[in-house]
Amino acid sequence: MRTRDLSYWLFLAPVLLALALVVVVPMLLGLFYSFTAWNGIQTGEFVGFQNYLNLFTDERFLDSLWFTTKFSVVSVILINFIGLSLALIVTSKIKTSSLLRTTFFMPNLIGGLILGFIWQFIFLKVFASVGEAVGMESLQAWLSTTETGFWGLVILMSWQMAGYIMVIYIAYLEGLPKELIEAAEIDGASTPQRFRYIIFPLVAPAFTVSMFLTLSNTFKLYDQNLSLTAGGPYNSTEMVAMEIFKTAFVQNAFAYAQAKAIIFFLIVAIIALVQVYINKRREVEM
Amino acid sequence: MKELKFSKGLLASVLLSAGALAACSSGDEGSTAEGGGEQVTVDIFQFKVEFKDQFEDVVAQYEEENPDVNIEITTVGGGEDYGAALRSRFASGNEPAIFNIGGPQDVADWKDNLVDLSDTGAADAALDGTLDGVTVESEVLGLPYNQEGYGFIYNTRLFEEAGIDAASITDYASLEEAVKTLDSKKDELGLESVFALPGKETWVTGLHLSNTFLAPEFDNNVLTAYDADTVEFEYGEGFKKILDLQNEYSKQPTVSLDYSQQVEELFSLERVAIIQQGNWVYGSIAGIDQELADSGVGMMPIPVEGLEDGGLPVGVPMYWGVNSNQDEEVVTAAKDFLDWLYTSDTGKTAVLEDFKFIPAYEGYDTSKITDPMSKAIYDASEAGETIGWVFMGYPTGWGEDELGAGIQKYLSDEASWDEVVDSAKAAWETSRGE
Repeated sequence: MRTRDLSYWLFLAPVLLALALVVVVPMLLGLFYSFTAWNGIQTGEFVGFQNYLNLFTDERFLDSLWFTTKFSVVSVILINFIGLSLALIVTSKIKTSSLLRTTFFMPNLIGGLILGFIWQFIFLKVFASVGEAVGMESLQAWLSTTETGFWGLVILMSWQMAGYIMVIYIAYLEGLPKELIEAAEIDGASTPQRFRYIIFPLVAPAFTVSMFLTLSNTFKLYDQNLSLTAGGPYNSTEMVAMEIFKTAFVQNAFAYAQAKAIIFFLIVAIIALVQVYINKRREVEM
Repeated sequence: MKELKFSKGLLASVLLSAGALAACSSGDEGSTAEGGGEQVTVDIFQFKVEFKDQFEDVVAQYEEENPDVNIEITTVGGGEDYGAALRSRFASGNEPAIFNIGGPQDVADWKDNLVDLSDTGAADAALDGTLDGVTVESEVLGLPYNQEGYGFIYNTRLFEEAGIDAASITDYASLEEAVKTLDSKKDELGLESVFALPGKETWVTGLHLSNTFLAPEFDNNVLTAYDADTVEFEYGEGFKKILDLQNEYSKQPTVSLDYSQQVEELFSLERVAIIQQGNWVYGSIAGIDQELADSGVGMMPIPVEGLEDGGLPVGVPMYWGVNSNQDEEVVTAAKDFLDWLYTSDTGKTAVLEDFKFIPAYEGYDTSKITDPMSKAIYDASEAGETIGWVFMGYPTGWGEDELGAGIQKYLSDEASWDEVVDSAKAAWETSRGE
């Protein structure tokens, strides 16, 4: 690496300045506010760790954290599974692969809010009509219970993000050295064996990227949550981001919400770093 | 060589930074230039999206009459978004001269930034009780936008065909009977169900419906509710009965039923006969069936069991406040404008005919109110057959997030009624104890 002389820092200065202004300073300010009784208008008195202490007995916050965790685990698995499957389909030698790629990627181009409303229509109207036609009770009254709300969110999220994750897998799948696979084929490895022992380890870097993206995206989900269920019924499908927003702007407990946000940030950061660290170690060097 | 690289880097970064900073500063220059001269600029930051266009027209009229006043309007809709946007306007230093405040909680939050408006003509003309929520120690800190009210909105044609006289429905028993009659004639009337209970909209259940049953214990006064340390649910039994009745005879599942389904899909298409809503649905209904909105609906109070003198809950949804941090001349101009809007002839006509408001001030020609729901509300208001909107004095978030969510639990059989009430009572106390 070249020595970092003054001009190096000067070139970086505009970006560093911007980053400091829109990320670092607000972050520090937020940290400061979380120790006060800020109501969004006046800073209020300094309350020390009171906001943080309250938070660990706040059932609603803990519930939403648990719901978010469940949602993230299920979504991450499903999205990656579907994404990889789609990638395998469109990289195999089928004629319509370009068309399919575009189609699979398309949901990702629609904004989260709109998607939420589209799926709300599907769950409430289409599901109900289909259910009525074929006489299936279980398709009725979607989104009116916690379970259907949960699966509604999972389906929506998988549908939206699978195409995006697919693109990442495609990039890695296409970059696989042909000779390795051919050699395995000549050695008599069956298709599942080739996938398990050759392809799978070699696309491991893609897992790192995809897992990171899906994990942080599902954890921080807000707009789809808002438009699909809005937390209902009885706030049971409320995810952390939404809970924090409501604490701040509905209950006007700005400092408390800020404390929640800091904890949330720490959780997301720790999970993301641990996950990247573990996956990195598993990757195969070529 | 090193020297050259250094100076190039310096040049580049200086140029880039300068560019970025220039972009920031140019915005400021623009606005100061605009505010210069003899003109007084009054910034209005308001939340009612529905009447944005009409409001802008009226303001243009005012500017024409008063060339030395320049009024800038910014509209940000929705309750939560408005509160957040207003806070950021204040935080950024770009404070509006006129902004909106809701109930006692908003008044307490913004008290230091509000001017006393008791010397305005509009404050004098305001109807009895409409200033309750914004009066602090004889200082009037806000002026009402308008009045709104709600109750059971019913379809008059369906009532007639089923042989029901709405005027005879005065208590729970007669309501139940009417509902049963309607239910038994569902097929002939082409009804899907009698009611449509929007359990998803926690403001309908947690704020409006609950208000009907909690108002009596707070003497119909929003400030009593705001100061109360506890809530008793004195009429909780009647509350449960009305909720059960609406739920039982509603299209299912009620928990995920929302406003647009209730008003547009079911009521406007005459697939349900009764909904619990307010005069604000006029636009939604008129958008689908103008005739129905103009002549096919009526409004009646929600009966409270054990209480004789019920009425339509009528209140002021939002107030205008004037920012006290502004220059003297801006404050005066702001007051003058609000006075003009609600007490001058041009203003009155606009309020009544363009905004289609139910006026919260005296001296209006109310025969010009055309939609039947607003008329019912104004008539009730004149006859004194109204109850107050105490939900503006609930603890912040309590009505929707606590009680409304609890009612959702009750509707989906996740909790008993007593559990909901107990948890709501406890939440009220905790919130007031802080």
